[in-house]
Amino acid sequence: MSAGSGRRITPKSVDQLRDVVAACDRTREAVAIEGGNTLRGMGLPPARADVTVVTTALDAVLEHEYRDLTCAVQAGITLASLAESLAARGQYVPIDAPFARKATVGGTLAAGWLGPRRHLLGRARDYVIGSHVVLADGTLAKAGGMVVKNVSGYDMSKLYVGSFGTLGTLVRVNFKTLPLPQRRRAFVAKLPEGTRSRAIAQIAELAIAPAAAFCVEGYRKAIDGEDGTDGRLFVLLEGSSTLIERATRDLRSALGKAGVPETTILDAGAREAFERVLDATVACISDRSVTYHALGSPESIAVRSIAMRDLAHRHELFTDVLADVMNGDTILRVSRRDARAFSASVEIFDDELHAIEPRATIVAGDSPVRSSLLVWGQLPSGLAKMREIKARFDPNRTLNPGRFVGGI
Amino acid sequence: MIAERLIEAVGAEAVKTAPEDLAVYAFDAYTQSETLPSAVVLPASTRDVAAIVKIAAACGEPIVARGAGTGLCGGAVPTGGGIVMSFARMNRLLELDVRNRRARVQPGLINLELSKQIASTGLFYAPDPASQKSSTLGGNIGTNAGGPHCLSYGVTVNHVVGLEVVDERGEVFTSDVDDAGYDLTGVLVGSEGTLGIVTSAWVRLLRLPESVRVWLAAFPDVESACEAVSAIVGSGILPTALEIMDSVILGAVEAAFHAGYPTDAGAVLLIESAGFTDEMNAREAEIRAIVRAQGALSWRAAATQAERDALWAGRKGAAGATGRIAPNYYTQDVCVPRTRLPEALRAVERSARAHGIAVGNVFHAGDGNLHPLMLYDKRDRRQVAGVVEAGNEILQTCIDLGGTISGEHGIGHEKRAGMNLIYSTDDLAAMARVRDVFDPKRMLNPEKIFPAGAKCGEPL
Ligand SMILES: Cc1cc2nc3c(=O)[nH]c(=O)nc-3n(C[C@H](O)[C@H](O)[C@H](O)COP(=O)(O)OP(=O)(O)OC[C@H]3O[C@@H](n4cnc5c(N)ncnc54)[C@H](O)[C@@H]3O)c2cc1C
Ligand SMILES: Cc1cc2nc3c(=O)[nH]c(=O)nc-3n(C[C@H](O)[C@H](O)[C@H](O)COP(=O)(O)OP(=O)(O)OC[C@H]3O[C@@H](n4cnc5c(N)ncnc54)[C@H](O)[C@@H]3O)c2cc1C
Repeated sequence: MSAGSGRRITPKSVDQLRDVVAACDRTREAVAIEGGNTLRGMGLPPARADVTVVTTALDAVLEHEYRDLTCAVQAGITLASLAESLAARGQYVPIDAPFARKATVGGTLAAGWLGPRRHLLGRARDYVIGSHVVLADGTLAKAGGMVVKNVSGYDMSKLYVGSFGTLGTLVRVNFKTLPLPQRRRAFVAKLPEGTRSRAIAQIAELAIAPAAAFCVEGYRKAIDGEDGTDGRLFVLLEGSSTLIERATRDLRSALGKAGVPETTILDAGAREAFERVLDATVACISDRSVTYHALGSPESIAVRSIAMRDLAHRHELFTDVLADVMNGDTILRVSRRDARAFSASVEIFDDELHAIEPRATIVAGDSPVRSSLLVWGQLPSGLAKMREIKARFDPNRTLNPGRFVGGI
Repeated sequence: MIAERLIEAVGAEAVKTAPEDLAVYAFDAYTQSETLPSAVVLPASTRDVAAIVKIAAACGEPIVARGAGTGLCGGAVPTGGGIVMSFARMNRLLELDVRNRRARVQPGLINLELSKQIASTGLFYAPDPASQKSSTLGGNIGTNAGGPHCLSYGVTVNHVVGLEVVDERGEVFTSDVDDAGYDLTGVLVGSEGTLGIVTSAWVRLLRLPESVRVWLAAFPDVESACEAVSAIVGSGILPTALEIMDSVILGAVEAAFHAGYPTDAGAVLLIESAGFTDEMNAREAEIRAIVRAQGALSWRAAATQAERDALWAGRKGAAGATGRIAPNYYTQDVCVPRTRLPEALRAVERSARAHGIAVGNVFHAGDGNLHPLMLYDKRDRRQVAGVVEAGNEILQTCIDLGGTISGEHGIGHEKRAGMNLIYSTDDLAAMARVRDVFDPKRMLNPEKIFPAGAKCGEPL
């Protein structure tokens, strides 16, 4: 069974969505909630899905008080539409998801944002100042408001963000926004194996922290489509013109010290280049790949990403690696030419990987082998509390049953 | 007797039961409880905390966690008796990870103490409530404290990355923002001791900025200062702090601190911008031009670190300084969308005047977070009643303007009734479901946050 089976309903209004969910809850039909469906490869599909509720018709911008730096949108709006609407007033919300033209605000938040700019700008959850959620019984629960500081009761939005639709369906989200950076500049450089860890160390020392920095191996389309065994370095700078000029000088000299030969500057195409890197994070090779996301630390990224890669090689898996230098995350895609051989290798690899990276989760992959892997990594200490939360919010297990950690 | 069991578990020096000792723990910076706690315990470790909770649970005594007691809404006050757990002895910095910019702290560590202890590393802890010289990180986590610099750095929850928590049964669990699963950290921060007792926390540290500038603009009145705030923010500039003080406050602050604030202005706007040296001159010029266009009377740049510190000392000591004008003050804490500040301030003025109460305003203008300080004498019953009534009117006005009943101090005991003004029964029931998970028997800080008699099956 998978999400998407059964009836599909695309409610045109919040009330209609409430009625559908409440009716399913009464008749004990399971509901799968779907936004842009770009993340179906993350975690496990719902164990049952009698009805799929698609949120994409709830896509309005409800408010944008630009002088308050706040906005309110319906949750089915795509990230690209949100960005476009805010950009008209020179603002944005720093959410960096793959496939922004398809991915919805609700789906992205429900999946829990872990974007590359978070070391500088914080997480998507830090920008949510209020939300409306339709609970399993059809109740509409509001949290927070349109003010940027609010400590009136529990911050319920924090619970809904990152809950994978297992507690309720986000229908409205209020954000605080930021002024858009004046300028963006991307750097791309070849990164011979011997220079990699030195480059990472140098970048960590930069006074002006880049907005994002990746060491990329494989994922050829993500950077420049060129062949060759060398890795690539991708760095994104954001800020005022003055700042970018200084950061450029600093970066060049730092990379020079690391022995990185030459860098290419992208000004006009910086954003598109960044988006290609983001899209790569969930790109699959038909049903013969699985992508892991392991959270680490900036200090250990150089060593850990290599250790993960080498382990995969020992299991005869092909690898593509995105090492997020600023946050310390590793994105590792493993694949093989033959689907059956792939399943066999990856099952053993998965065990050994979790021995060194207990928290690695699976974020993409269409292979049926996924269901026998540790898709959420090590179970969290608070799992018992999480199970109780699910039981209180969705006693009939109507919403995305089995989609989340520990079978929640 | 519960005291004996507590002494047996954690030692006599950690348990207080003498009435004169208990009385010290019956109030916070605003509320005085009529009931004394049945005991005060000062755990020295997580294990102590767990043992105390188990004993309390066995004896049916609720637990009230307490930091420094600087709270302004009765959050740490044992309104229904029970055991007060003070974290005065759990006040250490446990681990410092400079490279990954994180620190693990005990809840009793004083906010400013953390930044002092790590100053030599070039890092700092951003949330800076004006009470930071005395308030604790545990209390800051309890209330999700804000502060002047939260405009660009964010509030406490944006800086807490993991917690160790003792639950209502005395079991220890941890949460980490990077864990798979629900974001327990995000919900626990700001839960005012009603969902669990925080025994340690991992917090995020930031690099000290390369350059910091502080500017002071004087205005004829508070409204024009507020308009300047909206104009700065609306133009795409986000300074690190935008704070306003009105003439009542300025008089008191200058008398107490001689910080260099003008006493003839209707209001001042204190602006701080942090960033890179190269950008600062341009930023100053931009902000100065906006401020001038909004009718500023004068502009001053703090030339030295000492001048900056003096201005900030005045700002952070503003509430205390009003002691020179009136024996008591009550700070209302409300937040409105920033562009509604002028209307909110007019309403504050109207309400205070109608009830014959003097009022001064010192507030986090950039966030739309108002703090009208109502000045009164608590020995005068008429004044006390006036303060309460004016306070309620101000709450209602701010709600009508699209605001909320607390921006940073919390709901605690004092503002519980207000929760019904901003949330529907369904909204509150969703919160109560969370409470039901973490504290089904209401043994953790009862009579807080939820309105009295709130339903959902069980007493809150
Ligand atoms: C490697 C990797 C890196 C990522 N990096 C980033 C990043 O940098 N920044 C970032 O923001 N995101 C990132 N993401 C996650 C991002 O959230 C998704 O790519 C996408 O934005 C999800 O949107 P969608 O509409 O396609 O969701 P879907 O795939 O349709 O849904 C995702 C989940 O959310 C649930 N859901 C959908 N809509 C709702 C709703 N309205 N209410 C409640 N639940 C709902 C679904 O049931 C499903 O469980 C990353 C993901 C991966 C795999
Ligand atoms: C002069 C003055 C200025 C102030 N300025 C600001 C300001 O700028 N910004 C701001 O946000 N606040 C401000 N406050 C309010 C107050 O300082 C904050 O609410 C602060 O966070 C309280 O910290 P505390 O250590 O005193 O906690 P307490 O008052 O002792 O407790 C506060 C709450 O936290 C809970 N708590 C304490 N420790 C724990 C723990 N270990 N685990 C779980 N819960 C716990 C308590 O039960 C209580 O509900 C100010 C107060 C004063 C008097």
